[in-house]
Amino acid sequence: MRKSMKPSITWRKITESRLFFPIVALSLILIFDFIFIPGFFAIENREGNLHGSLVDILRNGSTVMLLAIGMTLVIATGGVDLSVGATMAIAASVAGILMNPSALKNEVFFVTDPNYTFQPLWLVISSALIVAILCGLWNGVLVAYMRIQPMVATLILMISGRGIAQLITNGLRVQITYRPYAFLGQGWMVLPFSLYLVAFVFAITWFLTRKTAIGMFIESVGTNFRSSYFSGIDEKKIKLLVYTFCGLCAGIAGLVASSNIRTSDANNIGLTTELDAILAVVIGGTAMAGGRFSLLASMVGALVMQAITQSMYAIGVPAFALQAIKAVVVIFVILLYSEQVRGFIRRLSAPKTEV
Amino acid sequence: MKKTLSNFFSRNRKFIPLLSTAFLALAAYGIGAYFFAGMRNPQVFFNLFRNSSYLLISAIGMTFVILTGGIDLSVSGVVALTTVASAVLLREGWNAWGVILLMLAMGMTLGAIMGSFITYLKVQPFIATLAGMWFARGMCFFISDDAVTIDNRIFQIIGKTKVLIPGLTELAAKQGSQAPYITIPVVVAFILLIVAIYIATYTRFGRTVYAIGGNEGRNEQSARLMGLPVDRTKMLVYTFNGFCSALAGLSFSLFVYSGHGLYAPGFELDVIASVVMGGTMLTGGSGYVFGTLFGVLVLAVTQVLIQFIGSLSSWWTKIVIGVLTLVFIGVQTILANRKGGRQTVQAARESTGARRKRQGLVFGLGTVVVLAVAAIVIVPRLRPASTVETPENTQCAVKPFREDEAASLVKEGAVIVYHRTAGPLCVDELFAIYPDGRVLGDDGVNKVEKQVAPAEVEQLLTAISVDHKWFTAEIYSTYLNPCRQCFAHYIDISYNGQQKAATGVDGTTAMPPGYAFALAEIRPLLPEFNPEP
Repeated sequence: MRKSMKPSITWRKITESRLFFPIVALSLILIFDFIFIPGFFAIENREGNLHGSLVDILRNGSTVMLLAIGMTLVIATGGVDLSVGATMAIAASVAGILMNPSALKNEVFFVTDPNYTFQPLWLVISSALIVAILCGLWNGVLVAYMRIQPMVATLILMISGRGIAQLITNGLRVQITYRPYAFLGQGWMVLPFSLYLVAFVFAITWFLTRKTAIGMFIESVGTNFRSSYFSGIDEKKIKLLVYTFCGLCAGIAGLVASSNIRTSDANNIGLTTELDAILAVVIGGTAMAGGRFSLLASMVGALVMQAITQSMYAIGVPAFALQAIKAVVVIFVILLYSEQVRGFIRRLSAPKTEV
Repeated sequence: MKKTLSNFFSRNRKFIPLLSTAFLALAAYGIGAYFFAGMRNPQVFFNLFRNSSYLLISAIGMTFVILTGGIDLSVSGVVALTTVASAVLLREGWNAWGVILLMLAMGMTLGAIMGSFITYLKVQPFIATLAGMWFARGMCFFISDDAVTIDNRIFQIIGKTKVLIPGLTELAAKQGSQAPYITIPVVVAFILLIVAIYIATYTRFGRTVYAIGGNEGRNEQSARLMGLPVDRTKMLVYTFNGFCSALAGLSFSLFVYSGHGLYAPGFELDVIASVVMGGTMLTGGSGYVFGTLFGVLVLAVTQVLIQFIGSLSSWWTKIVIGVLTLVFIGVQTILANRKGGRQTVQAARESTGARRKRQGLVFGLGTVVVLAVAAIVIVPRLRPASTVETPENTQCAVKPFREDEAASLVKEGAVIVYHRTAGPLCVDELFAIYPDGRVLGDDGVNKVEKQVAPAEVEQLLTAISVDHKWFTAEIYSTYLNPCRQCFAHYIDISYNGQQKAATGVDGTTAMPPGYAFALAEIRPLLPEFNPEP
């Protein structure tokens, strides 16, 4: 060990913390917004509910945050789940068709009654989530028991998932007018309701991974699945668990997304969100090879992605052109994490001890 | 005898995926030809190649990338960028050949940049290429927001030249049918295929590609220790794939004669699926470029079969491709596990033989179940649909909207004019709704009429203009895409002195929600043409 002065140790502790890079990135974006976009930080109170750009970042980021929770655990085991977008579409289709089954008769009748629903809300939500869990279970079985590479195994559902979702809705967009369901994505209780959902899922996941041994098992499987096996961890069950959980998270995200646009659109719900979720986790500092993970850092990573989107919208970049800017930012972030740059920063932070 | 047979199989095991794909493609076509007379037309067979020339070109490049154990998700983005950039440059009056060369150079540059990120900065391939896809798609919209048509003479000539098949022309003339032909992109694709096979099999570069891939990255290390130029090879592979993507983009623009940033959505999945079905291991190191041809053919035959069956919707293509990919990946995994030498936890725990049998059994049962379900769904529908018999109908495209006719109908007093074209059955229907409740329909052959309550029409108009904000900026036209299964809609509404028309397409286009709602409200009022006599 090198001898070093006390201040440099604390600096090092900060820079090596998992939260350091995501928070620096987020603050850079917010500082940019503060300087260039007037009124970005304004928050107004409408009938007791808070509205504003910052709240919008949180609200629109809630689907990616939900996905990032599940994805963090999957990536921590050394896997990846590409099918979350398709799972979102499937869950949304199931929910949509249970509330408005007219599409099955090959005709769409327009329902304007906000209290109309074909099935009660609890049945709608629980069956959508059960289907999402089945999707996750399917991925888990392929990865853990068939021993197919995670990227490949989940690619199958990614390819066919949207087809399945269209099969469920008969290829039509299903309008959702049922008000209690719309509350999931559009409701406000001081803050947007979807945020409470995110907080709830996050709290449960945090408790399960940090206050029980599951988190340690996941990290151990991700670091070296063979030695985990020899130390008595059933790596297959752990993998099955995380993929199933990821499916569940994707299902919740699908419900929120479909209620947000009030349509169950098998083609477009969750399109390319799997990439957003993976990048959120990567920005959060969880290595793609697996191992240590931080749920909170992934949350901040998701917010970084959403903050970029929101500020680009605010300065008037069209939605599709935004992708190019996102790509540049992503590359920049990935470079920040590369070994070369990390080494450079480490050298900067402890320059005197090198001698 | 049995032993010789098993020896024969184990020696040629590496060809099993390739041969089974080839068999599958031909068998599927054979079954189709048995049920549908239209598929016996040789032109339908050659259309398989015509319609998938760009898929084949892109899949050849992807085969190399996957052989090195990498993946390239950027192909669809580069294809879209090529269509937009070439369309805009041609509109500006550039020389067509110059544009083609520039596009190929652009594709190679993009590929090289992604390759250098992967090779030198050790970024995971799928993240680097994902960023590449976003970048390319985003750039499309910096260049042009709308679809740009290509009416360059040289492009038209290249795209529309018919290359007749030697030997078949006389045969067709004898039978009195049209001579079957292919197009120049198909020829280019096959030349590329031959060159790629040569490169993969007989050059140092090709052998290095095989040496790098496989064994979860351990082979790459071995190749490096053997002194093979790993970094240079990987760079070249991604550059080559960039070239292929740009070439695929060019042949795609010869297919649709326009450019737009939303073209080819999910194309990379089709490409990867056809490479996998062609017998290339996704972990790399094993597979044949030649097999990719059959992977592409399986995809093309699936699409054609679904078009001919008619009552199956387009999304079945996705499901069938997903199932086939699963089957092929499963077969590959079992074959790879059989090879031995690969030490897994599993292998340490139980005897490989028992495990192999169990895995094989589970997988076999799974396959049988999946195929049985598919058969139950598909077989009852295997009756020739009367409207899709002729090859002309299978090539149905979105027809131009009858805008002038709609405008004249509005002048005559119609409040809503709705035109619907294309779709799986190639319809071309024009409806006019009058304030007195008369609804007239015309599909070019038949005319139908229906009477609804005038109050209903009034209610509909209010709903569309007030609830769905028809006359505001929230309703805008979405572009026409070359989706062969979707309906294209044209709605012209005149209400309270305001008039506005907007177009929309089902499927992959992002039609504004209000448009979809309006559509859903109009549809129930329309009379039915009698499709089944």
